[in-house]
Amino acid sequence: MAYSVSISVEAPIENQIQEITYDGQELYQSPLSMSENLARLAQKIDFNKVIPEEVEKENSDSLEKSDDESSSKDSAAFQSSLWPWDSVRNKLRNALTEVCVLSDVLAIAKEKRYMVLDPVPQEGVETKPMVQVYARKKALAGAATVLLTGAERLRTSQTEISRNRTTPDFHIELLRLRQNWRLKKVSNSIIGDLSYRTAGSKYAQTGMFEVTKAEEENPTTGSPPPSPGPGGAPKPSSALRVMVPSELQGVAYIEVLCQKDQEDLCSASINVLGSGPTATNPDIHWQQKLEAAQNVLFCKELFNQLAKEAVQLQAPIPHMVVGNQIMATVLPGIQLIISLCHSTGTDKKPPSQNPPQKSEHDHVLEHSLHQLLREVHHKNTHHPFPHPSSGPIGPSKKRCLAGPMAADRYELMEMMKSQTLLEQIIQQAQHFFMRLRTEYVLDTIAKEVKDPLIVSHWNALNSPTQSCVKINIMTHGYDSVCRTSLIVHVGEKSLKCVCRDGRVMHMSYEPQELRDLIFCQIYQHQITAVQALAKCMGWQFLANSSHLGLGAVEPLGNASSCILASPIGDRLIAVRCEPHMGVQVAIAQSPRKDFFPGQLVKERKWENLGGSFKEVRWDKMEGKNFLNKMELLMASLTSS
Amino acid sequence: MIENVSQPVSTATESLNAARNIIPNQEYLLQGSVMDSAVEVLLHRLRGLCDNVDSGPEPFYDHEMCFSIRGAGSMQPLLLRVRRALDYQDMPWQLRYIGQPEIGDKSRPTIVRNSIDIGTSATVVEFLTELGCRMDFEYIVRGYMFRKGRMKITVSKIFKSGQGKPLDNMEALSQSYLVELSVLAPSGQDAIAEDMRSFAEQLRPLVQLEKVDCKRLQHVP
Repeated sequence: MAYSVSISVEAPIENQIQEITYDGQELYQSPLSMSENLARLAQKIDFNKVIPEEVEKENSDSLEKSDDESSSKDSAAFQSSLWPWDSVRNKLRNALTEVCVLSDVLAIAKEKRYMVLDPVPQEGVETKPMVQVYARKKALAGAATVLLTGAERLRTSQTEISRNRTTPDFHIELLRLRQNWRLKKVSNSIIGDLSYRTAGSKYAQTGMFEVTKAEEENPTTGSPPPSPGPGGAPKPSSALRVMVPSELQGVAYIEVLCQKDQEDLCSASINVLGSGPTATNPDIHWQQKLEAAQNVLFCKELFNQLAKEAVQLQAPIPHMVVGNQIMATVLPGIQLIISLCHSTGTDKKPPSQNPPQKSEHDHVLEHSLHQLLREVHHKNTHHPFPHPSSGPIGPSKKRCLAGPMAADRYELMEMMKSQTLLEQIIQQAQHFFMRLRTEYVLDTIAKEVKDPLIVSHWNALNSPTQSCVKINIMTHGYDSVCRTSLIVHVGEKSLKCVCRDGRVMHMSYEPQELRDLIFCQIYQHQITAVQALAKCMGWQFLANSSHLGLGAVEPLGNASSCILASPIGDRLIAVRCEPHMGVQVAIAQSPRKDFFPGQLVKERKWENLGGSFKEVRWDKMEGKNFLNKMELLMASLTSS
Repeated sequence: MIENVSQPVSTATESLNAARNIIPNQEYLLQGSVMDSAVEVLLHRLRGLCDNVDSGPEPFYDHEMCFSIRGAGSMQPLLLRVRRALDYQDMPWQLRYIGQPEIGDKSRPTIVRNSIDIGTSATVVEFLTELGCRMDFEYIVRGYMFRKGRMKITVSKIFKSGQGKPLDNMEALSQSYLVELSVLAPSGQDAIAEDMRSFAEQLRPLVQLEKVDCKRLQHVP
């Protein structure tokens, strides 16, 4: 039976087995590396073996001996086996010999018994001092020339730069630019942003500008300076150029006019849009250019916002937006015109058509518009922080309180309402006109009416939509006797008057109403003043009435009157004041002068009942003013 | 902006459903801490990076109480937090529910968790006690708030509130400040997490803001 048996044939293991682990794995001894091999060979060198020269000497010495040949053969045989290392061994052996000799000599010399170390007398080096000096001088001269040439070169280059270049370095300029504006580097170019984005603006137009190096210009040092003319001396240009987008070039401002109604609205166009080339004046410094461009962007945003609101708002008289003008009605008969004036600077012609009644541009309202837009920006970025701090950012304090305080839908809707820019500026313009009218009315009255003096004090502190004026009515010379004061609050479309006695009167924007009110107050003042004067004079006050129902119906207000009696009671004065007719004074005296006993009234005693009133011709009366005349009248009628 | 009042009146449920998409009920959070000695540098850096450099950081001083109520059975207790501002006494108190962080994929840059907060009056503590909640712990936190866009950054120090008046005898819990970067957003706006991560990168060498797994820090009794 033949069984096939597998026989494995392997090459013998090259490396020796170092150990066999417990799981049967064999660990081989790794073959020797180069350095290990070298070490193995070096170990085979026997340094005690004799060198070939000594071997030859020995051979020559012991030529007689018979075993010379064998020893030489042996040494020769040995020599040939150590051939690669022989020179190494010889050199090491020589070194060893030398070192041994040296150590022996040093040991003996140290002992100082048989050998002593003595210094060899040195001969002084003969140096000639002059040679040394000359050598040194030459060396120093060489170094000096090198340094001087270098300094000279630097100095010439510096003077050349400072003379030729009147402009500062590009990088210094760029640093200044970066200190004022936001710049960033995009691949090869430097782009900047002059918009109000980071300040809270949400306007879509970008304000990107590009910064480039200015081209090298020919220095104008050689040519004579130009004569001073309209061109002027050439200004030093800067090292960098700034390119703003074409729609932001030039100068713009918002013009705000308040003017009376015009029949022909189309004629009041004040456009100064330049249609010339958009090449900018290269002499403008980059700072001014960028500031102007930023202003143009701001004005555009402002006008855009106002125009949007003008279209969306529903006013009793609709606002009109035509081209770059917005027309809004402030008060009946007065219009507010807001226009965007953008000039690119090349259009030197003055506007050919000046509207005939051009009121002045209102700088205050323009400033207000700028402030209002800035306030909108500010609100966009400065949201209130939540307190406690784990709340959401955004809701205002009112909104946060709306929950716990159970605000209803109406309150929430009210919270959401806010005034648009256009509404706010219209309110400011309305208030401006109300104030103007009130001033005019008061000034006119003060000029017309001299008898009681009208003094008005305007409050120094006021808001764009509310002012206050305090009016004092007093008579010259008698201001401590009686003074009537009232306060008028000027709002946007109405006035509110608060009198000293507590009466509050609301008036509309018609100036006539205020005038009528003041006149009524003047005549009431007269009566009050007469009463106060009577107290001073000792006269008694018998009766008065603020709203007299006697006599003709007054067109304006009501007549007021008072009756005074002299200290001893023998004279009576009756005064009646009303705004239309003025003042009427009548006197009566107690024992009648014209008593005649008649059929019915027989006895004399009835003359004491007092006579009828006789009117005084007031215009013939002596006295500076009404109160003065009253005083004199009372003085003359007083008989002690 | 003037509201157009003449809208068609919708039912309450319709408007609630429509509003669900805009109610911020998710909180994205990153946390870190700095030692007391390093906090000035961090505040200076935040002041430069965040919005409104001119107005400076907003300080806050809050008192927080944590309540828990156990439902019927051995369910997880419901945790509620009540927080009030000690420096602004007229602002409403805040009742807050914070859910467990979403166990999403590990690649999310921030912790995302449910967060519902409600403004309440000062009687909320009494209300919760009547409901059956017990106060687990309370603490006082004091620090600064910063804002960058929608992100809110707070640097605060936590104090143990003494008995009685919280103002005196406050001892700090540690010698470090807690730095938190958070955004409250409606669900589904995961892009904000990337912005938070890039902002955290800018604060990198001063403070390391990262997702902190609270479960690993809690000691299970």
